[in-house]
Amino acid sequence: MATVAVEVVYRGIYQKTLARNIVRSIVFAARKEGKIGTAFGRYGDSPERNGIPAKQFAIVADSPEELEENLAVYQAQEVDVTINVDDTMCKGIESWAWYGLEPINKLTKSGGTIIVTSRQQADALVEDIHQRSEPYNLAIVPATVSFSGLWVYKDDHTDARLLGALCKVCPQLVSLESMVAALREQGMNELKVVSAQKSYDRITQRPVEPGEGSTEIPFSFELPGWKKMEEGLVIRGIAQGGGFRGGELGYEPVRNETFKKWSTRSMRPVVNFETCIKCTLCWLQCPDTCFDVTPDGLYDANMESCCGCGVCDAVCPVPNCITMVNEAEFNDNNSQWEAWQKDPASYKQWMTTLTEKQNAGEERSHGFHHVGGYAEQIAKMGDS
Amino acid sequence: MTSVQDLPQIRGVKNIPVEEFFTSGHRTCQGCESALVMRLMVKAAGQRTIVLGSTGCMYVANTTYYSTPWVVPWMHTQLGSAGSAATGTAAALSSMMRKGKMKQEPINVIAFCGDGGGVDMGLSAISAALQHEEYNLCIICYDNESYANTDIQVSGSSPWGANSTFSPPGKLHRIMNKRWKKNMAPMLATGHPDCKYVATTCASYGLDFTNKIRRALTIGGPTFVHCFDPCPKGWDYDPKYSHELGMLGVETGIWVMYEIANNELILNGASRAIAKGIRQRKPVEEYLTRQGRFAHMTKEDIEYFQSKVDDSWEKWWIPGLVPFGMKEDA
Repeated sequence: MATVAVEVVYRGIYQKTLARNIVRSIVFAARKEGKIGTAFGRYGDSPERNGIPAKQFAIVADSPEELEENLAVYQAQEVDVTINVDDTMCKGIESWAWYGLEPINKLTKSGGTIIVTSRQQADALVEDIHQRSEPYNLAIVPATVSFSGLWVYKDDHTDARLLGALCKVCPQLVSLESMVAALREQGMNELKVVSAQKSYDRITQRPVEPGEGSTEIPFSFELPGWKKMEEGLVIRGIAQGGGFRGGELGYEPVRNETFKKWSTRSMRPVVNFETCIKCTLCWLQCPDTCFDVTPDGLYDANMESCCGCGVCDAVCPVPNCITMVNEAEFNDNNSQWEAWQKDPASYKQWMTTLTEKQNAGEERSHGFHHVGGYAEQIAKMGDS
Repeated sequence: MTSVQDLPQIRGVKNIPVEEFFTSGHRTCQGCESALVMRLMVKAAGQRTIVLGSTGCMYVANTTYYSTPWVVPWMHTQLGSAGSAATGTAAALSSMMRKGKMKQEPINVIAFCGDGGGVDMGLSAISAALQHEEYNLCIICYDNESYANTDIQVSGSSPWGANSTFSPPGKLHRIMNKRWKKNMAPMLATGHPDCKYVATTCASYGLDFTNKIRRALTIGGPTFVHCFDPCPKGWDYDPKYSHELGMLGVETGIWVMYEIANNELILNGASRAIAKGIRQRKPVEEYLTRQGRFAHMTKEDIEYFQSKVDDSWEKWWIPGLVPFGMKEDA
């Protein structure tokens, strides 16, 4: 072995502490075995924004010389293991510092492993992940995706469970014994140690063959180098919008072509156009200008710009007119209003199925609701 | 003084213009209230507007490497320079029009700053701008109560007791930010008696917000609008509550909504109802316990916070605005 690299792909701010706990524990565990390691966040992701995908890395080496080869880089060139702490990022990620969509498996070595926290089955996740020509493995830690905020950490053992799984899928990194010692050294309680051990025993891997997965070509942009920039570093403004889909009626803004933001989204609004009272509030209060005004005065959330904050749902005065649904349920960014116009009956059926499933399933939480809220959520989870 | 644009007050939320001049594709957090401030501000101002932005989230997150969500002309200026950039731009427009190098027309000049750029660093430049009666300009401070862009450091506008990178609660010292929030808008209003318009608002109240921007742009001379912006990143809450927390800030009496137009004070919305005794202030506990930045507070801390807010309503000369009164027989 020369070096082993692990990346943690996480949602900015919400999972920053979780990611830090993981990469730090890897380095502490490596020290137990006489190895040397470093943990760092990618420079370009700081300052982080809520929900926008970011990365932290842990690199472990046998000697300082080998470690040094991997230091002072923007990010690792390739990693042995990719840990993805929110399954909706299997569709690809757009960090706030770069342009275009990157597949989740971009840095994963041939034969390496992606560990995902998810309630979905492996086949469903493989469908979302972009196909590639080298094989890799997919391992799932069955868990409710863990979200908290900058100041209060939701300690639902996701960190310990991922670390246990990591020791199993990448035995050349560190042993479970060293990891357990590292968890204890950091003052984590014995219940977390048990969680790590259980996860080690239970984790399974599903091989993903070359060519398997989503055939979508990730969107990309060509950005001008400094020689092509205009005098005074002028950037051309966005053109003024006009009627909906180029028509006379309604309104549709022109949008920034080079940043789409939808990979920030882990939920999306599903709209019941039949009960909408056209109060304007979803459109008015949207910080991302994502609602197009349709010719009939309704509001169609544009899925290339919606980042899933849920403000539209919160301000809507009509019960169940807007429902935030888990992003994992969707395979495209198509217009809901167009689907409804085309066939209202089948739209209604699609919408009802989705919203009922969402309401029956477990709550997908986006952080702090009230003092004591995390403890209530953890109590509901039980032993998974 | 050049003339101002015809921007009538908007009657009813359904009459807010549909045209967008700050569009999708910016790198702000989910549920960013400050991005909404940018959007509604320029929506109210319209197409013939120049926006100047000092360093902060609304600069860094909006215009990363050769990309922009702005439809109107926008320029970055340094952290403490919202006031000087606004004055300089308004002066340049006036001079170019006088010399015939530009068509004579009223162009809105808006400079924005965060609380770090405005309440802390840019205070003197804003003060200078508000003395230049000959220029029409509006300075808007989007106040998310910390240096949010650089990962939440304390500013002069951060509330007492809030957790931040500079004030992490510890076991021995629980309350690390011991300063009470600076009383920014009244300081500018009383300090610049010739300034025709100073207002406070919150984008949770879309109509109040857009109309105040319009009044600030049409009343003539330099004006200031201070806006209360819930920040899901720094305040630590689920972003879907951005709108609700803005309203709770007003309903608990922590943030007071008013406008001072031509030296007359008018309280607005819930603040007006509270002052007139039509509705009760909600307990601050309802606001504080919903945010992770206050999660370490004890009952006593919340009581102290409540007593300070009570004082501002019950003991101040002008509730929520002027913290002193006349000494008897003075």
